[in-house]
Amino acid sequence: MHNTLEIRVHGRGGQGGVTCAKIVAAAYARLGKSAQTFGDYAGERSGAPVRAYTRIDDEPITNRNKVYTPDHLLVLDASLLGDDTLDGFAPGGLLLLNTPQPNASYGERFAAYRFATLDATSIARRHGIGTRSVVIVNTTLAGAYAKLAGISLEVLEATFAGLGVMSNFAAAQEAYEAVEVREPSLVGARAAVSVPLHNEREVGEIADHQSSPPTGLRTGSWSTQRPQYVENLAPCSAWCPAGNQVIEFIQAVARDGLDEAGRILGATQPLASVCGRVCPAPCMEGCNRKEYDGSVNIRGIERWIGDRVRLAPERVERRADAKRVAVIGGGPAGLSAAYELAKLGHAVTLYEGERELGGVLRTGIPVYRLPREVVDREIGAILDLGVEARCGEFLDATRTAAIAREHDATILATGLQELRPLDAPGAELAGIEQGIRFLHRVNLEGGARLSGHVVVLGGGNTAMDCARSALRAGASKVTVAYRRGEAEMPAIREEIEEAKHEGIELLVLRQPVAFHGDGRVTGVELAEVELGPPDDSGRRRPVVSARTSVLACDAVLLALGQSADTGFFPAGWELRDGRVYAGDEALTVFGAGDLATGDGTVTHAIGSGRRAAGLALAALGEDVEVFERPDRRCAVPVTDIRLDHFARAAMSPDRLLDVGTRVTSFDEVNLGMEHQHEVHRCFSCGHCTECDTCLVYCPEGIIRRGGPGYEVDYSYCKGCGICVEECPREAMRMSTL
Amino acid sequence: MTTQFVSANHAAALAVTLAGRANRGARGFGGGIYPITPQTECIEFLCTQEFDKGSLVRVESEHSAMAVCMGYSLSGARSFTASSSNGLAYMTENVYAASFYRLPIVMMAVNRTLGPPWNIWVDHGDTLMLRDTGWIQLYCEDNQEVFDSILMAYRVAEDRRVLLPAMVCQDAFVLSHTMMQTEVAEQEQVDRFLPELDLPHRVTHEPVTVGGLDFPHETEAHRAQHHAALGRVFDVYAEAQDEFEAIFGRRPADPVVPYRMEDAEHVVVSMGTTASTVRTAVDEAREQGFKVGALRLRMFRPWPEELLARWLVGRERIAVLDRDISLGHGGVLWSELRGLAPRDTLVQNYMLGLGGGDIRPGHITEILEDLRTREASGAPALMEVGQ
Repeated sequence: MHNTLEIRVHGRGGQGGVTCAKIVAAAYARLGKSAQTFGDYAGERSGAPVRAYTRIDDEPITNRNKVYTPDHLLVLDASLLGDDTLDGFAPGGLLLLNTPQPNASYGERFAAYRFATLDATSIARRHGIGTRSVVIVNTTLAGAYAKLAGISLEVLEATFAGLGVMSNFAAAQEAYEAVEVREPSLVGARAAVSVPLHNEREVGEIADHQSSPPTGLRTGSWSTQRPQYVENLAPCSAWCPAGNQVIEFIQAVARDGLDEAGRILGATQPLASVCGRVCPAPCMEGCNRKEYDGSVNIRGIERWIGDRVRLAPERVERRADAKRVAVIGGGPAGLSAAYELAKLGHAVTLYEGERELGGVLRTGIPVYRLPREVVDREIGAILDLGVEARCGEFLDATRTAAIAREHDATILATGLQELRPLDAPGAELAGIEQGIRFLHRVNLEGGARLSGHVVVLGGGNTAMDCARSALRAGASKVTVAYRRGEAEMPAIREEIEEAKHEGIELLVLRQPVAFHGDGRVTGVELAEVELGPPDDSGRRRPVVSARTSVLACDAVLLALGQSADTGFFPAGWELRDGRVYAGDEALTVFGAGDLATGDGTVTHAIGSGRRAAGLALAALGEDVEVFERPDRRCAVPVTDIRLDHFARAAMSPDRLLDVGTRVTSFDEVNLGMEHQHEVHRCFSCGHCTECDTCLVYCPEGIIRRGGPGYEVDYSYCKGCGICVEECPREAMRMSTL
Repeated sequence: MTTQFVSANHAAALAVTLAGRANRGARGFGGGIYPITPQTECIEFLCTQEFDKGSLVRVESEHSAMAVCMGYSLSGARSFTASSSNGLAYMTENVYAASFYRLPIVMMAVNRTLGPPWNIWVDHGDTLMLRDTGWIQLYCEDNQEVFDSILMAYRVAEDRRVLLPAMVCQDAFVLSHTMMQTEVAEQEQVDRFLPELDLPHRVTHEPVTVGGLDFPHETEAHRAQHHAALGRVFDVYAEAQDEFEAIFGRRPADPVVPYRMEDAEHVVVSMGTTASTVRTAVDEAREQGFKVGALRLRMFRPWPEELLARWLVGRERIAVLDRDISLGHGGVLWSELRGLAPRDTLVQNYMLGLGGGDIRPGHITEILEDLRTREASGAPALMEVGQ
């Protein structure tokens, strides 16, 4: 029989146990011994218990099986020290343990063995072997073993050199000198071999599962961080001034259907069909898809929903202790405030100076952009909630004060009634008209007729509305003159494009300085403008030059902006930061919409009205959540989207009426999207779509579908972070334990 | 000649490097390679070697790997690839093609269990699946034999009397990944042992179609040629053994390797590394006074019928160990061998170590006891050895 020395190395995947056994074997081979070494190879990954084996003999080695009765045991990780580690261990055998504990601290434990300890981890770390997080101790422990096995430093050095691991030799040498050993003080018997010769498991019936129980090693206990499913702010939602849960309603169309999408939209606003037509869509500016292959057509989606399902609840129970709130101004801000209050069961009275509710939706925005049946339908749904409307009376200060007294709270949402005039010679000539008044005539007073060349002064949405309405009202030619460049025009981009498409001419960098005519305007004198250094807004300041020319025309529409008219405020009222004060006394009167903010869009007005409703209720002691605009800076940036997961696809455009038809009528120009496929372009930034990417990429296979989305088996999750790294939409994050 | 402490995968790669370089004066060396556990470290190592003429082509599959080898070989280059398990299964169509084209390609096959479910450990079922492909098959016991067998395989395969591909098989992990001392030859020695390849049907600048249509009588002729060539392998192998011994100073093992067979009444027949462990158990049985011997089958194709029959004459009981299972039948080795046993000899089949189960001397001792005590042979026995 051979007198074979059998060595078993116990380590964890990643510690280098197999290499440790190899170094030991190679060192013996240098001494002229027959050596054989091999490891357990399996599916083990980092952290799993791994064994390696070495046999040494003076004669050629024949055995090819694993080592069951070791004479020497090398244990790379003290946490592995269990009964199965000592399995079959010879009495008086050498046990070398990597531990920070001193040898003596083990007391009588292992007294039957030659017991050696070494803090190999500290030595290896000091020598920078491995990474900061994973120290590799194999070569260090091999150094200690050499000392115990009587292998000289010279042979060890030659072995390291031969295996190409000389960079680890200094640590091995330190271990060679540092290892503590205690000779056996007890006589023991060889430990039993617990591995049976035969598989005890019975073979099951024809198709029974043959599987092992999960490994006993709960690798999750090793992790320092773990993945979590989170919801991060999507840029579309962050950018929406109305506070719409944009990403939710888009995803609801894709997954839950239009009713659910409508419910989500209705939670924040009552005017989706309106916004889906006239909103400048800041959401689309923020959309992470913008620079990739074009923003998602969110406005089109909103319209798709608004035109098909009801947003407002069918009915709401009036609360017994309902607050009585007056809303003055029936435009989008007032409607939004009334809607919010009514939804919560409060009693709302809505005052409107015109004969019908709607404000700018009815007086300003032309019907070819916003058909009146759309306005009627959405306002009707608000009134269905029990909102009382009182129209046809423009309030004065006395009346306003009385209303404020009669109600628990009052919200002022009268918009911008003051029209900015143009202080230039000839401004009083006939044929020069405020654009807003012209639109009022077109929209509310049975129409207006124009002829010849009409010049519109201004560059905002009102200017575009005037220009396009003028064309439809009979003008043979329309020119828009604006003092800055086209890129600086505040109007919605699509409006400008559609206007140009209809034949309207833009004349940019022109400032009107005088009007010519004898009783009636025949021309407007325009000065050329140069762009100077940037002003406070960051835009280049227009500098009016002395070079002028006269543009012959038959009519001029002024669209130079509007401002708040506070003539109906009772004496002493002052609007500060959205609330009205009488001196230092804060009244339960709040401002909303353009009157308060001057942001100038329907969507801003809706958000503002909703916020004012919340502020009013909070001031009355109600426990309500006051709407705050989210911080855009917190939105998921495009750099956190894994673009590789998304195929490029063009936006589904809105369908437009052909130009020939549209300029001769007030029919709606934009016909909306053809289908709802557009929702599938949404990245769903920061919002899990249950796409299974995390599940597919998890190298441990421990993410499963379950719960609201997925469940991670944290008892096995080692915190590698691959799922988080691969999540296409930043709906996961790692958190430190 | 130097002694190196290397794994059998690396031993194979070192031998291939020397063999490949030895053909530098002719058409050089090349092959297609595709990794699969447990063969990967062999081809990784080979990829770090430099060849004066030719190179290895990294391809997308085993099927293509063999196709590249065929291209190299047809052009007169010495060619090599390595694979395992399901890789061999995927390669199979071209494994046949290589031998039907009579190309002396050498392939190292690391024996690994076929899946699914996936199992990376040793089992001989993968190369035994290829037993009818017309290749020479050698099974190795240790690192040195892997090294030597690669050289022997080229020598025999390229012999004008043979011109057939050869497969050098070794057990997954217990051999492929086990490091032991290995004698590595010098280039000059290998140059002497392996003459430059001169393939008679090498394609040159003349366009030819290889492997067109065979009519029945042509196929009959091709099969007869092929079969006869395999039959000549034994003589060619024996000559190569002599030549090898003369040059390298050690003698490669015979196609059938006896151990303590002098007066053996009971015989254990096995292949691969199992035979090592068998020897330990035979020694123990001998110490207890049992007349036990062992045979290791080193060459499975061509089937060394005469040698085996000679060794089995007069034995009372034979245990055939299979690390494989021909499902619905029994062990492959047993099924081929049992017909050779003399009348009145008890032949019992034991299938063990399937899927890489660790075969220990204790298992062999149990088998010897069963062999000794049973009254008659029975159905093939499947012995579960656990982990």
